[in-house]
Amino acid sequence: MAPFAYGKSMVFAAVAALALPAVSFSTAALANKANDTLVYASDSEPENISPYHNNLREGVIIAHLVWETLIHRNPKTSQYEPELATAWKWVDPVTLELSLRQGVTFQDGSPFTADDVVFTFNYVLTPEAKVVTKQNVEWMAGADKIDDHTVRVRLKGPFPAALEYLSGPTPIYPAAYFKKVGLDGFSKAPVGTGPYRITAVENGKGVKMEKYKGYWKGSPLGDPSIGKIEFRVIPDGETRMAELMTGGVDWIWRVPKDQADQLKAVPNVTVLSAETMRVGFLQFDAAGRTAADTPMKNEKVRQAIAYAVDRPAMVKNLVGEGARVMNSACFIDQIGCTDDGVPRYEYNPDKARKLLAEAGYPNGFDTDLYAYRERDYAEAVIGYLRAVGIRANLRFLKYAAMREAARAGKVPFQYQTWGSFSVNDASAFTGVWFKENEDDMSRDPKVRALLDKADTTTDSAVRKDLYKQALSMIAEKGYLLPLFSYPSNYAFSSDLSFTAQADELPRFYTAHWK
Amino acid sequence: MSTTSASGAAPAAAGFDPVPVRRSPLARFTKRAARHPGFMAGAVLLAVILVLSIGAPLFTAHDPYAQDISRRLIPPVWHDKGSWEHWLGTDKLGRDYFARLLYGGRISLMIGAATVLLSGVIGTALGVAAGFFGGRVDMVIGYVINVRLALPVVLVALAVAALVGTSLNTVIVVLGLLLWDRFAVVARSTTQQIAHADFVAAARAIGCSTRLIVFSEVLPNILNPLIVVATLEMAHAILLEAALSFLGLGVQPPLPSWGLMISEGKQYMFFSPWVITIPGVALVALVLGINLLGDGLRDVTAPDNRS
Repeated sequence: MAPFAYGKSMVFAAVAALALPAVSFSTAALANKANDTLVYASDSEPENISPYHNNLREGVIIAHLVWETLIHRNPKTSQYEPELATAWKWVDPVTLELSLRQGVTFQDGSPFTADDVVFTFNYVLTPEAKVVTKQNVEWMAGADKIDDHTVRVRLKGPFPAALEYLSGPTPIYPAAYFKKVGLDGFSKAPVGTGPYRITAVENGKGVKMEKYKGYWKGSPLGDPSIGKIEFRVIPDGETRMAELMTGGVDWIWRVPKDQADQLKAVPNVTVLSAETMRVGFLQFDAAGRTAADTPMKNEKVRQAIAYAVDRPAMVKNLVGEGARVMNSACFIDQIGCTDDGVPRYEYNPDKARKLLAEAGYPNGFDTDLYAYRERDYAEAVIGYLRAVGIRANLRFLKYAAMREAARAGKVPFQYQTWGSFSVNDASAFTGVWFKENEDDMSRDPKVRALLDKADTTTDSAVRKDLYKQALSMIAEKGYLLPLFSYPSNYAFSSDLSFTAQADELPRFYTAHWK
Repeated sequence: MSTTSASGAAPAAAGFDPVPVRRSPLARFTKRAARHPGFMAGAVLLAVILVLSIGAPLFTAHDPYAQDISRRLIPPVWHDKGSWEHWLGTDKLGRDYFARLLYGGRISLMIGAATVLLSGVIGTALGVAAGFFGGRVDMVIGYVINVRLALPVVLVALAVAALVGTSLNTVIVVLGLLLWDRFAVVARSTTQQIAHADFVAAARAIGCSTRLIVFSEVLPNILNPLIVVATLEMAHAILLEAALSFLGLGVQPPLPSWGLMISEGKQYMFFSPWVITIPGVALVALVLGINLLGDGLRDVTAPDNRS
């Protein structure tokens, strides 16, 4: 009578059958406790392993496994602790002097010295380095060597978030090795000082790593436990899940809410949810670069879209526990971020229709929504827009392709997400999307002026007020519609002991087998 | 063989018919068709899908685009949690699945029909020209057909989709420009048979122009095999569209297309299998219906002494 009402056991049998070829493929690199190999899978692959040359979360994870930063931010206490630098002091508001740790060696055996720090920072500040997220380094003016184990970092202006940036997206490269092999060579065989060493970079497949035996003792990252780590790119979510259930991989994340709920019932799989700093948002071509007459140039159209999307319902039904509706163009817990007094848009489709009519689009218009992940969320946005008359088609692209299209001014509006490189400061969000740089689609000099001032103000109350002004202006003009913060659902083998942090940075060097 | 008329419409050899009252070609067709179970099954299947799709608003009050994300993934009525309000359930955004299936059927049928129209015109024109004129024309067209056969359809379609972007029109044009080969091959060989038939020679003798001969003598006589090809190609096009949409390079959301629905349902395959089985079954039914009809049509329209 019920042809489609499969029993659960049948579904699992089907899963096993489907996953069978995948399992037989992966026999060469078996994941599990017995082999001391942790295989983790994710959907996207960094375009370049060199941490300064991608802005993808998967790249950030590898950056923190393979490289180290001068300063360590304790994820539990948020205190800054020594890592490659043992001590630091402000000589003046724009000069930071750091004493470097002795006895640290890069994975190619060369010692870590002041030359490496000076080279890394001065190199990434050159235009030829083509750093993807310039916001991460542009606050620096350069670095100088004082002696073999002392450096000074010069700032362009006072920058209160300097320590935060030095503890995140600014890993140190080996100067001699990098100069020898160049960026191309470096991205194929990268070298850092971190707890894991890259043994193979396989384009389209993933990255293989093993514990770096010469890793220095007493690191705040601790002593890594698992012998080998392998990052596997599996674009398809169902395949990742099937691989996890059949033991082909040990760890997956970004499991959609529905599947996470179901996976909880699967034996040998642990499901964990944690909020992250990632914020999903809609960004509009307010500068009118796609076409001089694009509807997105019209403030009322952007506001109408803001009123048309039912964000609380999306959070409740699609995104799931751990997510919060965001009202400001940053992650609400970041230093400097606030939504207090920032204009808010409630769900009000009637108002949206009215605004559209006032803007001269009583019958709506056709447009394209670009997106690169969480297709469901983007489609839900399309569904809400359709209800008020805006007919958007989905253009679903790879991240780098979407980013380049947006930078080239070909995107009317996009569903974006930003994890701020896990930098706990509002500048890591606003600095990327609003400072008239290539990712800024609104390009409002007034917003930029406010942000420039906020980024370089040391008085935290004044700074907060400046951010508030900028964020209010962004919300009022509807340059960017923040949707919600992202939870991440992790699912992993029950053999694995893994703890998630709120900054969306899985720290596999702290994981161990049970 | 060269004088065999491909349809019952040719009056040329009607002199010694044993039946005194000759039935009309249509009546003969209907009688033979009614006795052909495959043909009838295909015709009924296709008719049901056609009626349901074209008359979609009559069969469902739901808007296929109206989402209600508080009512996501409601299972079909035969599940414990199903309800008659959404008797085939809802999709991942709470859109009525039956409505999406019906409107999606329109897209599949439209792509099938439009593709066949485009490829049919191209293929028939080339095939008739090659068969009728022969010689160098035949050589050149034969070469073009070979080139076309050497192109893998899906790969070319993927490349074009990547280059010019994806949309409904792109899918139709790409498939239409790629699927004409069978039309050309069949039109060419049937035209060759007819080109030297007596009635063509007679038409020529009384001074008919080439154009008149092609349109009033050749085309009507090769129509039946071409209709059979058209049905098979239509099924082919529908499947290709589903494959392209499944790969994300065909019809784009939020348009409902069966291939896209299968692709979207993939995510829920493990725990809500009906999301993928329902459009899958619909697609199988449509393609099966068209193929049965095509096969049946070939048998039914074959000349009397062949089966």
